[in-house]
Amino acid sequence: MGTEINLPKQISEGFRAMAETLQQANPEWSWSVELMSDYFARVHQAQEKGEVVGAINFGIPSEILWAMDIVPLLIDPIGGVASAFPEGVMKYIDLAEQHVPGYICANNKTFMGMILAGDLPKPNFILHPSVPCDSNMGTYPVMAEYFGCSYFCVDVPYLRNESGFAYVAEELRRMIAFLEDQTGRKLDVNRLRQAMEYSNQAHEYMLKLAELRQTVPCPYSSLDAISEYGLVLMLCGTPQLVDYFKKKHQVTSDKVAQKKGYLPPGAEKLRLVWIYGAPAFDFTILLWLEKQYGALSVAFMNNNFVMKPVPDISSLDQMLMGLARKTVLMPMSRECGGVWENYLDAQIDLLRRFKADAAIFAGHVACKSNWAMAKLVKDRIHDELGIPTLNFELDIFDPRVASTEEIKGRLGRFLDEVPAGRTRAE
Amino acid sequence: MTALEELTAVARDVVNPHVENWRRQGKKVVGFFCSYVPEEILYAGGILPYRVRPTKCQPATHLADTYLSHLNCTFVRSCLQFAYEGKYEFLDGFVFTDSCDHIRRLYDVMRATGPFPFMRIIGVPHKSGDEATAYYRGEIAGFRKEVEQHFGVEITEAKLKDAIDLYNETRDLLKRLYALRQEKAPPLTGAETLNVMIAATSMPREQYNGLLSRLLGELSARKGISNYRARLMISGGGGCDDSTPFEMMEDIGGLIVTDTLCFGSRYFMQPTVRGGDLLMSLARSYIDRPSCGRMADKVTERAEFMKTLIHEARVDGVIYQRMRYCDLWGGQLFYLRKVLKESNMPLLDIEREYHWGDVGQVRTRTQAFLEMIEERKNGN
Repeated sequence: MGTEINLPKQISEGFRAMAETLQQANPEWSWSVELMSDYFARVHQAQEKGEVVGAINFGIPSEILWAMDIVPLLIDPIGGVASAFPEGVMKYIDLAEQHVPGYICANNKTFMGMILAGDLPKPNFILHPSVPCDSNMGTYPVMAEYFGCSYFCVDVPYLRNESGFAYVAEELRRMIAFLEDQTGRKLDVNRLRQAMEYSNQAHEYMLKLAELRQTVPCPYSSLDAISEYGLVLMLCGTPQLVDYFKKKHQVTSDKVAQKKGYLPPGAEKLRLVWIYGAPAFDFTILLWLEKQYGALSVAFMNNNFVMKPVPDISSLDQMLMGLARKTVLMPMSRECGGVWENYLDAQIDLLRRFKADAAIFAGHVACKSNWAMAKLVKDRIHDELGIPTLNFELDIFDPRVASTEEIKGRLGRFLDEVPAGRTRAE
Repeated sequence: MTALEELTAVARDVVNPHVENWRRQGKKVVGFFCSYVPEEILYAGGILPYRVRPTKCQPATHLADTYLSHLNCTFVRSCLQFAYEGKYEFLDGFVFTDSCDHIRRLYDVMRATGPFPFMRIIGVPHKSGDEATAYYRGEIAGFRKEVEQHFGVEITEAKLKDAIDLYNETRDLLKRLYALRQEKAPPLTGAETLNVMIAATSMPREQYNGLLSRLLGELSARKGISNYRARLMISGGGGCDDSTPFEMMEDIGGLIVTDTLCFGSRYFMQPTVRGGDLLMSLARSYIDRPSCGRMADKVTERAEFMKTLIHEARVDGVIYQRMRYCDLWGGQLFYLRKVLKESNMPLLDIEREYHWGDVGQVRTRTQAFLEMIEERKNGN
């Protein structure tokens, strides 16, 4: 008999050990790692105690769940984080592929496989928006039926307009009714307002930080830029996230005031923006880029949170309208849902703001909708900004599709041809 | 020419004499890509709705592949190839829905690389219920207005009512056709039926209904098919508009007696019940009909629909065909396998390209499937 695995517990402990190491080497990095550890410990604790745990996909406002004392189990981060641990997630993917085709997204397959393997306790319910992709739509509802979980889908209309936002706001209201039914507890509007206050404060810091991160030289590390994505998904609506961003804002402001970049003076040769995926299974590739090419990954599509704080939180209606916008404009949902211009405009803006020398389209093989735009986007980026884009295939969770070495090879050959700082998008 | 021969001829190629004749009269033809497009609205505007298919497109889609990836399904790549080759020049416009990621990106790529005439996408909710239906009603109301403006036509309530009645007549006739297939010795094959279904979306509806009525008369005199090895259901996703693979399955002894396809039973099972608000009536019938895999809240309903048809048509085995890279229908398998296993119903899952490239392999697998069904029937 093998040792029993409990992924939230294992991940929490892994992060805890990592945080302890980092506290010596790079205390600033340990902040996010500690938060991750605490979050997964909270999930584990909730499952141990038999509390209601809801599995949610990004786009579902975690503010509502925290306000209702429901621990949100974020599906994306658990797969992404587990893929970076030494054991990887291949066994879960393989297990899922006994049931569904291989071309289904590894994010969905990993979640499916984790539950099938018994390594992730079955959540009480599955909650997701109808964006960004068919892979979610094709798997979450059937997983819920198969595993016997309750289920709710927040329908997000194709077109982005005021009536669409209003429709999503009503969907969120129905979602709250669903959650009340699941928990037997009513939503306390004051608790939600408090969560919204935390969320708004975090967003204000995020927007300020994004401005600071655009500075040349960039004060942020590649790893910081990508790791915050998961934190925002997990902890929006909690004071912990506010504290984190407050501290990050302080140290980043100081660095910018001192004209201090993350890399040593003169070492920032290239600024890269990852306009689609990134190899979650091995983010040390980002460190390799920094060291080998002086190429700093200054921004990622996933971490491009541009949503403004919800201006009016005086009533439930207003909060739901604000959260509806947030749901629709959540990175990836914003880019992958709706018309292709949603994606193009956001990436052109991101590349421009972050003064990129090159764009990296690390196209997750399961993202059929984005691969359909890859050529159009690459051409338009070149036409509008004069910078090159590298398009290549990978599976963000599974190194068997493109290994670390293969990805480094592709990136290296591409960067050899990008003149440092010359083509920069300004 | 018998009605069946005439309908089959319509399905065999992209353009057919009925469409050409329609155009010779100076009337418009608009292509649509998904069965969630309410054809009645176009027809009420005097426009022929034509379901776009890339019939006979070669597997090499070199023009389309400039923009679309190999990770996009070969149905949309073949459609784009045909669009670039000018095969759809007989169409005066294209209507899409956000039915799936592939189709909605086809809309984007065609828009970005055109020019193509009138392009419109209709947002279809991923759920049913009053709110979703009301949202969809708003979408099709906007669609109606745009059609009127672009084509300079007036879609009056009276015309819409007539179109709804006409399409309901089709649904009634097709139900009668499918009922014949449930008999012990059905008078027509699955391949023949698919051609009849394809013709529905490729020619003027009055003529189609006339031919369909004639066909039902002809079939009453036709000898039923009884020398089959197993009664099959075809299930799964879209892009299923070529009867050749069905012929192959039936050549080796299978008889397709029913289906859950959007080019099949899902197209006609739900009539439009006319109420005071015709657009709402349409919206309700489209949202509430037996659903596509894209509809999030209908997983069990889809399985029940399948089980009902299995029972009614006395199905021995289900062939589940789906396009490679179709997440919506690929994902359904997770639950469906379980449901069918519990029902002791054999399932053959076939992942395919639009043009069914691996015909030899499909033939071998179908052959083995039929043998397995026969062994089960014989109690082995």
